[in-house]
Amino acid sequence: MSLQPPRDKRASLADAVSLVSDGAIVALGGGLSARLPMAMVRELVRQGRRGLHLVGSAHSIDVDMLVATGAVARCEESYVGFEQDLGLAPAYRRAAEEGSIEVAESCCATILAQLRAAEMGLPFLPVRGVRGSDIGRLHPEYAEITCPFTGETLVAVPALRPDVALLHAPAGDRYGNLHLEQPYVLDERFASASRMVVATVDELVSTEEVTASGVTIPGHLVAAVAAVPYGAHPSSCYPRYAYDRGHLREYVSAAQSGPDDLEKYLATYVHGGEESYRVAVGADRLGALAGWSQSVTAWQELFS
Amino acid sequence: MSWTIDEWFVVALARTIRPTETVFHGFGSPCAQVAMHVARRTHAPEMVLVEGAMYAINPDPPFIPPTSNDASLSRGAAYSMRFEEFFDAAIRGDVDRMFLSGGQIDGFGNTNVTAIGPPGRPKVKLGGGGGGCNLSATIGHLTLWTTRHRSGRTLVETCDFITDMGHRTPLGTRAELGFTGGGPQWLVTELGVFEFRDGRARLAQIFPDVSVDEVRAATGFPLEVAGDLRHVTPPSAAELAVVRSVDPLRVRTSEFSARELARAFEAGGGQDCAC
Repeated sequence: MSLQPPRDKRASLADAVSLVSDGAIVALGGGLSARLPMAMVRELVRQGRRGLHLVGSAHSIDVDMLVATGAVARCEESYVGFEQDLGLAPAYRRAAEEGSIEVAESCCATILAQLRAAEMGLPFLPVRGVRGSDIGRLHPEYAEITCPFTGETLVAVPALRPDVALLHAPAGDRYGNLHLEQPYVLDERFASASRMVVATVDELVSTEEVTASGVTIPGHLVAAVAAVPYGAHPSSCYPRYAYDRGHLREYVSAAQSGPDDLEKYLATYVHGGEESYRVAVGADRLGALAGWSQSVTAWQELFS
Repeated sequence: MSWTIDEWFVVALARTIRPTETVFHGFGSPCAQVAMHVARRTHAPEMVLVEGAMYAINPDPPFIPPTSNDASLSRGAAYSMRFEEFFDAAIRGDVDRMFLSGGQIDGFGNTNVTAIGPPGRPKVKLGGGGGGCNLSATIGHLTLWTTRHRSGRTLVETCDFITDMGHRTPLGTRAELGFTGGGPQWLVTELGVFEFRDGRARLAQIFPDVSVDEVRAATGFPLEVAGDLRHVTPPSAAELAVVRSVDPLRVRTSEFSARELARAFEAGGGQDCAC
C-alpha cells in the first residue's frame, strides 16, 4: 500500500477492528507483558473473527485469548506463554497438543529478517543459525543458500508482509502519529512491513503534544486510530500504567480450568465491550496500576 | 552465615560471567537475571549487562519483577536498545554470553523449549525458544541452566526437538554448521555444575548435600565426572547481600520446587573435597 495521506483517521474501536478480515495475517504489537493491543484483541473476539494467522515475537494473553476463542488458524510466534511466573499458555498449549491450530514456531531474529525483507521490498534475506535446529523443520519455506562472496551456507527466509499490524500506544493524534515508550519490541518494523496499521491509544492528544513527546510510528503508516483508555490492560502501557499480574493470573486460571470458566471470564470481561471491561476490572484497580510511579514501594507491591 | 539453594544457585550462575563480558538473558529467566546483577555488583563491575526483553544497558532496577519487560528493569539505564539493535549485535558477534535453559537438555548442550513428544502432536507444548535458534549459533559462550535436574526428565539422552543448538546436532558439529559462536560452556543445575570438554557435558562441581550417584540417577545421558570433582564454592557475604537486595520479591524462587527450596546451608557446614 502507498503511504497514507494526512487525514483524520479517528475511528470507533469496532470500525477500526473491522479492517481485519477473516484469514488475515495479523502482527500483534508489544510483547510479553508490555503494550499488547488487548482492546483490539477483545474486539476481534466480539466480532467473531476466524482463521487468523498470527505473527510476532514473544507473546502471552493476546495470542492465548484469540486461540481460546477459536479465532486462530496458525501461530508463528517465537514464544507464547506467561514466563516463569504463570507458566504455559493454557489455550495455546491445548490447541497445539490437539492439533486444532497450526504452530509454526519461529525465532526472533528470523522474524526480524523477514520483516526487514518486506520493508525493503526484497523477496528474502539470509539469517545465521537455524541450521541444526528443528525449528527449520516447521518451516519448509526456508531454503539454504551459498553466499556468492564468502561461500558460507546461510538460511534464506522469505519476506513476511502482515496484512495488518495491531499496535497500541499511550498517546497519538488524530492523524495516527503515535508516541511509544520502550520496549518498542517489533512495532516499528511491523508498521513499515505491514500493508496496514490499525492503532489504539490510551489518549488522543494534539499533534503538538505527540510531536513534543516524540513520534515513534508516523501517521503516514497508520490507517485508523481509536481512543481506548487502558487499551493495553492487563499488559502494561508505561508511563500510564503497570501490568496487572492479578488479572493475568485470573485469566490463566480460567483458561486452564476449561470452557465453563473461560466463558465466565469472557462474559465478565469481554462480551460487554470496553466500557464494561473497565467497570469489571474496577476503577480502584486501574487507579492502583496507574499509580505505579508514586513510590518504589507502591510499584513493587503491584507485583507481590 | 547461612543461605538457601536458590541463592547459591544464582551465585553459581553469576560466577560463569567473566569480568568485561557483554551478557544477556532471555525472558522467563529470573535466576539468570538476578545472577547478572550479582556479577556486575561483585566481580564484574565492567561487564555490559543487557537486561532481558527491555534490552536496557547496565540498569539498576529497584527490584526484579516477575516479567522480563517491565519498565522497572530499565531504571537507571542511560539507554535501552531497540529489539533489532540487540539482535544485530548478537548475530554479528558482539554479545559474549547468554543464559539459556530448556525443558530438555542433552549432553551436547542442545536444548528443547518447543515441545515434549512428537512435534506434530506434542504431549506438552512448551512456550517456545524466543531468539535462541539464531542466537545460540552466534553468541560467544552459553551458560545453560536448569533447576529441574532432579526430576530425571530434564537432562536427557536425546531431545525430542532441538530448539537451540549445542556443540553437535544430528546435522553436524558447530564448525560443520558454520556457527560463529563458541556454544555451551557451562551447565549449572540445582545438583551441580557441568563444564563442556570436547563438546560433552562433564560434572565438575557438586553441591555438598548431593551425591554423584544422585546426579547419575537424575541424568539421562551417560554421566562423565571430572577427575578433580569438587564442591561448588560457597557464596560470599557480598554475593548473598546482592542477591537479597536485588531480588526482594524473590522471583528467583519461582524456578524451584518446594523440596529444593528447603535446602539450606551454613558456612563451615560442608567439606572442601567431594572425593
